[in-house]
Amino acid sequence: MTMTQQTANGHFPREQIYRIRAGVWHALVRMGSLRLTLWLFILFALCIAGYYFGGQQHNGLIITPLLLLSLNLLATIATHTTFRRQVPLLVFHLALLGMLLLLVLGRLTYLKGEAEVTSGSDFEGLLNSIDAGPLHHWPGSKLHFHLTDFSIDYAPGVQRDATRAQVSWQDSVGNTHQGIVGDQLPLVLDNYRFYTTHNKGFAALFQWHPQGAMAQAGSIHFPSYPANEYKQAQSWVLPGTRHEVWSQLDFDELILDPQNTSQFRPPVEHQLILRSGSERHLLRPGQTLQLAQGRLHYQGLGTWMGFRVFYDWTLPWLLATVLLAVLSLGWHYWVKAAARPWLNDEELS
Amino acid sequence: MERELILLWCAISVYVLAGVIAIFGVVLGKRPERTVLATLIIALLLHGISILMRWDRLDHGPYLTMFEILSSNVWSLLFLYSIAYWRYRPIRPTSAIVLPLMFVMMGWLMLSSPGEGHLPPTYDTTWLVIHILFGKVFLGSVLIAVGMAGVILLRRYKLGTHRLSRLPSDQRLDDLAFRFMALGLIFDTLMLIAGAIWAQDAWGRYWAWDRLETWSFLTWLFLAFSLHLRVTYRPQPVRDAVMIMVVFLLAFLTFFGVPFVTTVPHQGAV
Repeated sequence: MTMTQQTANGHFPREQIYRIRAGVWHALVRMGSLRLTLWLFILFALCIAGYYFGGQQHNGLIITPLLLLSLNLLATIATHTTFRRQVPLLVFHLALLGMLLLLVLGRLTYLKGEAEVTSGSDFEGLLNSIDAGPLHHWPGSKLHFHLTDFSIDYAPGVQRDATRAQVSWQDSVGNTHQGIVGDQLPLVLDNYRFYTTHNKGFAALFQWHPQGAMAQAGSIHFPSYPANEYKQAQSWVLPGTRHEVWSQLDFDELILDPQNTSQFRPPVEHQLILRSGSERHLLRPGQTLQLAQGRLHYQGLGTWMGFRVFYDWTLPWLLATVLLAVLSLGWHYWVKAAARPWLNDEELS
Repeated sequence: MERELILLWCAISVYVLAGVIAIFGVVLGKRPERTVLATLIIALLLHGISILMRWDRLDHGPYLTMFEILSSNVWSLLFLYSIAYWRYRPIRPTSAIVLPLMFVMMGWLMLSSPGEGHLPPTYDTTWLVIHILFGKVFLGSVLIAVGMAGVILLRRYKLGTHRLSRLPSDQRLDDLAFRFMALGLIFDTLMLIAGAIWAQDAWGRYWAWDRLETWSFLTWLFLAFSLHLRVTYRPQPVRDAVMIMVVFLLAFLTFFGVPFVTTVPHQGAV
């Protein structure tokens, strides 16, 4: 057993400091070994295989080898002067480190969510599902846009083509903007990206006049169409009550023609089947139904669009870092190729 | 469509002719290099016209069905190989290795259905084209390296020692092969970046470890591993040649094998 010896004034003897330094240096050299890099590559590959083939995807399987590779790289930079002298190679590896750091920051602050918005109404910050990093703070109703309408083309065989959603929004100084967004053309609000999706359907638009309270407008989203073509029914609770009603959209019209090109649209002729308790009612646009809890006015059938919401402020920085990595790698190999021409003139002739 | 297919058949016949001439050249110790290059150029022209006609008819690039992907890859790989063939004269006999390798893809192409596919909205983006182009340069670079690695490996056998003696030494072939591997690493990285940009706007995420992404990353990792291994251990050319073959196999399986077993939206070749 060895003990650390101190001098009377509390300082370590110089010899011991040298020994500690030598020990740290030795550890750094071992940690920065290029042979270790190769083993870490193998470990990383195995961890990816484990992450992919394992039943549960543990983030530790990706983070651990990346952390070890980062330590290995830092130690290599500290201990290999030849490595530091090769500027392009150094820049490439530092860019890789920067990329890792950004990926970690991105995972801490990202958000993925889903929202449904009725055509002609506003998105007011309500998400149907949310998956976010621990440091993400969802701004809620501060994110606001209006969905005017949308159109979706369908090719024969009911194959979805381009989706175009008309939206309007206000910028930070209050100016209103209009634009078209789609599956690949997001609406970007404060780095939050809103994409249209395949998830969309029909929405029954109501006005609800409860007994002795203010009237309010709302919509009921039927399940996604055409994915749930034969399940166009929804149960919902009358606002301000605990009374559940069940409604079904009933129409015979062919909306999406499997033989020809077509567009997604609400049916021209339809009716709503509404079940409240043991009573069954049929509603057409403009009709009103008197219930014990209030008056339900059916305005007509509209549409709703499912949006995918994505936030990751690191994206432009990641792109810049990765491009820097590629450029420096190209630079490194360019310098190497120029320094040692592969063929001499004799062999080329 | 009939004209496109006739042109494609003609192109494949000429490719096969070029391969046969290249093999006989090596076996008989002749140098029919200009003939091989001219034959390859004719085949590429015929094949290119066939691809362009289909592109014009369907109004989308050759990247939807397996037929289109195989066809465009045969063209792009042989186009890149032809440039290397023209530029690096001493390695021309590698055509006797590379062209038969391409015959496998051509056979597969002939067995694929030339039917039309539907262009999904997620494929209607320039980033997909950029992603594919980088991928083709990556695979083309590795294919050229494979030609040289094949020579190094064949030299271990009696036939190869004698017939391939005209080529530069193993050490020099290994050096050049790894330059193409380095080029491959750069374009593989660019392919992954362009793919991530495409995926971000196509599916709202830039990376999700789906089957194709996982295998693509493993290919990148293995390529980086092979370059690191070479710097660290300076192995014999024959071991490097084996590494190159493994990288090509992995890349080939990622490009053409994984899409058969995946059901995710990012399906690649199917």
